[in-house]
Amino acid sequence: MNKETARSLFMDYLYDELEQDQRNELEQFLSQNPEVKKELDELSDVRSMIAHLPVQDPEKQLVMAEPDQAGFQEWWNDFVDGLLPRKGFARAGFAIASLLVVFVVLGAFTKLNISVNDGGFSLAFGEKQEIIQQGFTPQQVEMLLQQVREDNAVMISDAVQSAQQQQENELEKTLVNFADYIEQQRQSDLQMISSGLYDMEETYYDRFRQTDQVLGELIQTVSTGN
Amino acid sequence: MEDAQLVHDFRGGNHQAFNKLVTRWQDRIHHFAYRFFASSDDAAEITQKTFIKAYHKLDTLDDVNKFGSWLYTIANNLCLDELKRVGRKRATSYETLKVAPQTDTATPADGMVLRNEGLVLLHKALLQLPVDQRVVVIMKEYEGLTFREIAEILDEPENTVKSRLYYGLSALKKTFDSWNINKEVFDYE
Repeated sequence: MNKETARSLFMDYLYDELEQDQRNELEQFLSQNPEVKKELDELSDVRSMIAHLPVQDPEKQLVMAEPDQAGFQEWWNDFVDGLLPRKGFARAGFAIASLLVVFVVLGAFTKLNISVNDGGFSLAFGEKQEIIQQGFTPQQVEMLLQQVREDNAVMISDAVQSAQQQQENELEKTLVNFADYIEQQRQSDLQMISSGLYDMEETYYDRFRQTDQVLGELIQTVSTGN
Repeated sequence: MEDAQLVHDFRGGNHQAFNKLVTRWQDRIHHFAYRFFASSDDAAEITQKTFIKAYHKLDTLDDVNKFGSWLYTIANNLCLDELKRVGRKRATSYETLKVAPQTDTATPADGMVLRNEGLVLLHKALLQLPVDQRVVVIMKEYEGLTFREIAEILDEPENTVKSRLYYGLSALKKTFDSWNINKEVFDYE
């Protein structure tokens, strides 16, 4: 071993990663070469010094992984991808067949009943039940008819009476209006006659006065001429 | 429960398994990033990014038994990316390190002051190392990884890793000598 070889083993020796036989060989060499041992001791002192370097711990957990919210969705997608064929037509056919199976199974559980008759298309769930139609007896029908007739008679009587009363009221109202009209007409005629008589009286009075005046003037003329 | 089993559980849809991995590993990743940048904020950011990336890429992990190494690889790459992104600013970030202030009630003691200053200088010295050496020193000295594990994480030969560690420790030795710092400074309790 020479000095360079010894120095190449320094790091392994300092950090205790040297094989035992090499360690023994190096230590023997160092015991015979104090200047090389001094170099090693100086490096060891540096190690002991930098070992005092302080350090700080983080105050909290700096990173936190949150669970994926879409976990079920991813699981379902994986499940569907693994279940369904990859090819397009096969995938579509598989999906249709699955839907048919689901439809049949659900129909069996729910006792689905589909029928087409003269009445149209019908879709029902559960047990099919016969339609039981319950009618009235002849006596009940007769009673119902009688009741209806009586009700109708009462209703018609009320209606006729109401119409008659309304008609009478209307007639009375018309007569009153007519009487009022006649009275007004009569008053108007009387006023016209009175006014005519008055005018005629005025006219005759004026004519008598003119006649008297002409006669007076004539008499005066004749007397003056004589 | 082993990491591998938790990885399997997570791949099977168990998100709580990933939370257990976070709980188990976040301190170590945070320590790694903190020593890399000497900043709690940067360390927390790198730690978060590391686990977010792990969450999205865990399906690509070939050997589930190497989850830890794989996680360190992610964290290391993120640290290097961050360093490239703000390289100049990061290169001088150690200047923001301050000596821990002494409280009024504390008895002034020269030894304690020297120790606090020494601790700050320790981080400064570490940040002054070239990045490839700094990463190896942190992974080996503080994370306790084997040379083989570090070689896998960095995708480098083991001898390269040992060489970087050797030169890293030697550089620290020179730095401490230039600052007149020795191990007695840290013996004060």
